[in-house]
Amino acid sequence: MGNYIIRRILKGLLTIFVSATIAFFIIRLMPADPVTLLIDPKMGPEVKQEMMHQFGLDKSIGEQYVIFIQQGLTGNLGISFKTREPVMDVLMQKLPWTLLLLSIVVTLMLAIGIPIGMLAAKKRNSWFDKFISVFIVMGISIFIPFLSFALLYIFSYRLGLLPSGGAYTPPPGHGIAYIINVGKHAILPALTLFVGNVATIILYTRNSMNEVLKEDYIRTAFSKGWNEKYVVRTHALKNAMIPTITVSGLIIGSMVGGAVMTETVYGWPGVGRLIFDSVSALDFPVLQGAFIILAVAVVTVNIVTDLVVAWLDPRIKLGG
Amino acid sequence: MQNRTFIQAFVRNKLGLIGFIGVMIIVALGIFAPAIASYPKGYGPVTLQPPSGANWFGTDGLGLDVFAEVVWGARTSLYVSFMAVGVAAVIGIPSGLISGYKKGTLGAIIDTIIDIFLTLPMLPLMIVIAAIVGSSITNVALVIGILAWPSLARVTRNSTMKISEMQYIEAAKCLGISSRTILFKHILLNLAGPVLVNMTLVMATAVLSESGLSFLGLGDPSTWSWGSILKKAWDSGAIIDTPNPWWWWFFTSAFIMVYVICFNLLGNGINDALNPKTRD
Repeated sequence: MGNYIIRRILKGLLTIFVSATIAFFIIRLMPADPVTLLIDPKMGPEVKQEMMHQFGLDKSIGEQYVIFIQQGLTGNLGISFKTREPVMDVLMQKLPWTLLLLSIVVTLMLAIGIPIGMLAAKKRNSWFDKFISVFIVMGISIFIPFLSFALLYIFSYRLGLLPSGGAYTPPPGHGIAYIINVGKHAILPALTLFVGNVATIILYTRNSMNEVLKEDYIRTAFSKGWNEKYVVRTHALKNAMIPTITVSGLIIGSMVGGAVMTETVYGWPGVGRLIFDSVSALDFPVLQGAFIILAVAVVTVNIVTDLVVAWLDPRIKLGG
Repeated sequence: MQNRTFIQAFVRNKLGLIGFIGVMIIVALGIFAPAIASYPKGYGPVTLQPPSGANWFGTDGLGLDVFAEVVWGARTSLYVSFMAVGVAAVIGIPSGLISGYKKGTLGAIIDTIIDIFLTLPMLPLMIVIAAIVGSSITNVALVIGILAWPSLARVTRNSTMKISEMQYIEAAKCLGISSRTILFKHILLNLAGPVLVNMTLVMATAVLSESGLSFLGLGDPSTWSWGSILKKAWDSGAIIDTPNPWWWWFFTSAFIMVYVICFNLLGNGINDALNPKTRD
């Protein structure tokens, strides 16, 4: 197991390195030259030269790459073209907002999705199970802007209950007032992300529970006269959770960067919105930095999920 | 005989059948778009008109018929999703099979590549690539397909790993049956369910991605697509500002949802009909 963990971490580091490299080169392929966009066309060519030098854009791609890796290893992700701030600072301003949204959504989706999925599997083919099936299909089919528009139309335009965008209404306030202010703004984006993800969790939990409950060892357990609760808890749950855990890992990983649409519609100042803005502004360093942060997040979550799965199911010989 | 059982089982599943019919209707809309509605261009006579007999879905900010836009948008969505799923399947299924079955270096290399691709944040990457390659519909479809293969590969790989631990595979190996026969005859057939379901998911996701990209302004500006209709509605403040032409975004988004739901229902129906455990 120890050997497996070390190998898994090494592979994670390789993954981060390759992702960073891909991000570096893909971003360099963007058609426009950021400096041309940044400076006033009236300024002379020497000003442009100076700016190219300042951002290291006068060096060859190879040299830029070496510098990028060297600096990256020390946690220096360069300077933003747009705001001239260190990229690390820009990301650290945005990351808490994304993590706030993410933690609300993940907590709710697991706390609500797993019990509902198990209940639907236990009451197979009941009206409850059928209702849940319909909800799952609607939920996994959700188009984020549609749900956002519908929620904004109802709660913001018609009822006037909730704000239509941003993370807080200025002035932000202090203490409880600040929490309420932000909380009100977080409701709609969190709800938007919650619907699709909870449907996925219910789907996986219900399906794998259904599969497990059909296994011979469950029938054996029942035939020993044990009651349903005991059999589900001690025999079925552990095996049924494996797909749910795997998919939760994928959801969490993708949500760190996948909230682009939600954050853009609601003007939520997180990493997703930052990525969208940076593409329009051709802010290479910020984009690279955002991709690296996302890669680190996904790799970490994947390692944790794989370890949990290996611990739950010794049949998957991960070390082999 | 086998096919007949499958079709019978599929037809008995009402939701799957509804999905199939829904998909067929949307395919027909896309194919016969020129016969159903004239291509919306220029300006219409009355802007922001609510739904009526003449304009079923109302008119947009330029006075164009939203129904015509939605019908022409269906073409784009169909094209993108079929092409993306093809690309994803050609790359994803073989790589998942090999990496799940072969425990050696080759398996490890493919597995690492799958991991790395899964690590790349999909939507942000699509946004960046779409900005680079330019916004032709074919480019967008290729990008979606190339970025969608790892999920298909992962599903294939996980199921392959599980199946290849099973006793009947051990037995086949002991009998000296070649890897290729085991892979294609004993494992691939048992993968059909999860893989097909994942392919319909990719189909659905492809439309969601294309609509999303167009909504963010990275789609093909010269073609009507569901996402670009929504972008125009959003840009003009049709959702939270007054006047509030709800029909502009509502019908378009409803079509996206119906399309995606139908594909998901179809996938579930196929899965249930293929799987003897859930067939009855």
